[in-house]
Amino acid sequence: MRWTTTYGPVLIAATVFALPLFWVLVTSLKKQSEYGSALFPAEPQWLNYELAVALADFAHFAANSLFLSGAYAFLAVLVSALVGYGFARHEGPGRNKLFVLVLATWMVPNLVLFVPQFVMFARLGLTNTYWPWILWGLGGSPFAIFLFRQFFASFPRELDDAAEVDGAGPLRIFLQIYLPNAGPALAASAIFMFLWVWGDWLYPALLLHQDNTTLAVRMANAYADPHGNPLQTVTMAGVVLYVLPLIAFFAFAQRFIVRGIVTTGIKG
Amino acid sequence: MAGATQVLPRTMPRPAAWRRRGVRRAVTFYLLISPWLLGFVVLSAVPLVGAFLMSFTNYDGLNLDYVRFVGTDNYLRALGDSDAQYALGRTLLLMAVVVPVGLVLQLVLALMVNQPIRFSNVFRTIFYLPYVVPVVAGVWIWKIFVDPTGGLLNALLGVVLPDVNVRWLVEYPTAVLAVLTIWGAAGGGMVVFLAGLQGIPAEYREAAMIDGASRAQVTRYITLPLLTPVIFFNLVTGIIVALQILVQPMLLSPGILGLSPGTVPPRDNYLYVVHAYIEIFTKQLFGYGSALLWVLFAVVLGLTVLLFKTSRRWVFYGVEP
Repeated sequence: MRWTTTYGPVLIAATVFALPLFWVLVTSLKKQSEYGSALFPAEPQWLNYELAVALADFAHFAANSLFLSGAYAFLAVLVSALVGYGFARHEGPGRNKLFVLVLATWMVPNLVLFVPQFVMFARLGLTNTYWPWILWGLGGSPFAIFLFRQFFASFPRELDDAAEVDGAGPLRIFLQIYLPNAGPALAASAIFMFLWVWGDWLYPALLLHQDNTTLAVRMANAYADPHGNPLQTVTMAGVVLYVLPLIAFFAFAQRFIVRGIVTTGIKG
Repeated sequence: MAGATQVLPRTMPRPAAWRRRGVRRAVTFYLLISPWLLGFVVLSAVPLVGAFLMSFTNYDGLNLDYVRFVGTDNYLRALGDSDAQYALGRTLLLMAVVVPVGLVLQLVLALMVNQPIRFSNVFRTIFYLPYVVPVVAGVWIWKIFVDPTGGLLNALLGVVLPDVNVRWLVEYPTAVLAVLTIWGAAGGGMVVFLAGLQGIPAEYREAAMIDGASRAQVTRYITLPLLTPVIFFNLVTGIIVALQILVQPMLLSPGILGLSPGTVPPRDNYLYVVHAYIEIFTKQLFGYGSALLWVLFAVVLGLTVLLFKTSRRWVFYGVEP
């Protein structure tokens, strides 16, 4: 009785949440002729995955996505860590007002900011290039700046004093003391920055063209046979391949984040 | 002893040195935050001013030669735009469903996985997963799930109701959109609630239990009041996000092939930002579309301020553990 009241609701909720994901897996393993006629595949069709890779130039778009997400995440995390360190550990006139401004840009509706950026990028001839993402990365991310500021504010100040006595400048203190000890914050923000670009459809759809666009834009179009009939089964195989690295990445990084928290906890 | 008295005064900074040191500190601070500051000016401040000016012109996104100021014409037009009014109505309706239902679900999920149950990590991962799934994949997942031909939903309904053939994306597109939105956002909100739950000292609950409170009473009178700041945070962010939904309805078209920037969603899913997007990028009315977006910004800001005002009555901030 007690078992059913505690586990019953959780199991039901988990089933409802996982069912659509499960159905994508099932569909991706059906023969196209089984789509709509059989509930489950008679034999798993792993060929669908080969087709999904071959028919859409999958590797090409995956490489585009990987480069764009990786470059943005790398730049945004590094810059945000530096800026977060500045806000946490250094003083200057207007510091608090500027920090409010960081948070304020976070609140502005995306499209309000993007439309004039789009016009600007178009005027500068930066559409159809990866420059917008590089520039966004170089400017840092408000979310990550906030995260790093909070994180660095909890570091013991004695570390800085000791390093300053040894003649280290602020940049060296950041690079040699703060950055190496920021594991959890680095991992968490890198994952979210990477995920944002990997998952985003709107900006690449508007800024890039057919060839240099990302996997998200490519995956938005269904696979079709030469007569133009949709191949739902192959499309779902493509969707699984598009999502799977993220889930694997998350599973791996989660462990890293936990380890990071534990080690910094011991050090603190 | 004599050496110490000699050294001390030399290291004590005089006023001029103090000032010089203050300047140096300020320079260091500004150098450190300069990437963000530069990015803020170039990528936020200048574009925002440009967007504001643009909303008073007839700019078409291409030709600067034909640009002229049209005064408040765009804003007057926005107020009389029946499509915009319809779209705003649909958006507010979606928000009125998605935000409260989503909030309750997130809280219930957090309470469930916060219990000392077996496999709670597995459950957490399952509930969190949809939050990590990119929007394009999320749309595909639900499109196939509700597909009348090969979808599981009609097959399951068919067990109870034989010969059921609901064309979900044609007949109930907003219901599918709402479910997709709630499903996709649940994990993010759940994690925030979990953090909030773990911030409540266990002694509070234990003390109430010793005094004879039931589990339901502890949740109602101890946990919920202490969670109100988190509820408030998730409510505000939920409303801001719900008012800006764009990509999901664009991609959730009934056709199986058509997920492209040019498609117009079914009338039921014609949301406010979708309208602005189409005015700007399809019809190339950059000036008018910008005005539409500033109106939305005003609505968002107004709602947020209103929520903050009411928060004084029901959000409980006075916890000192």
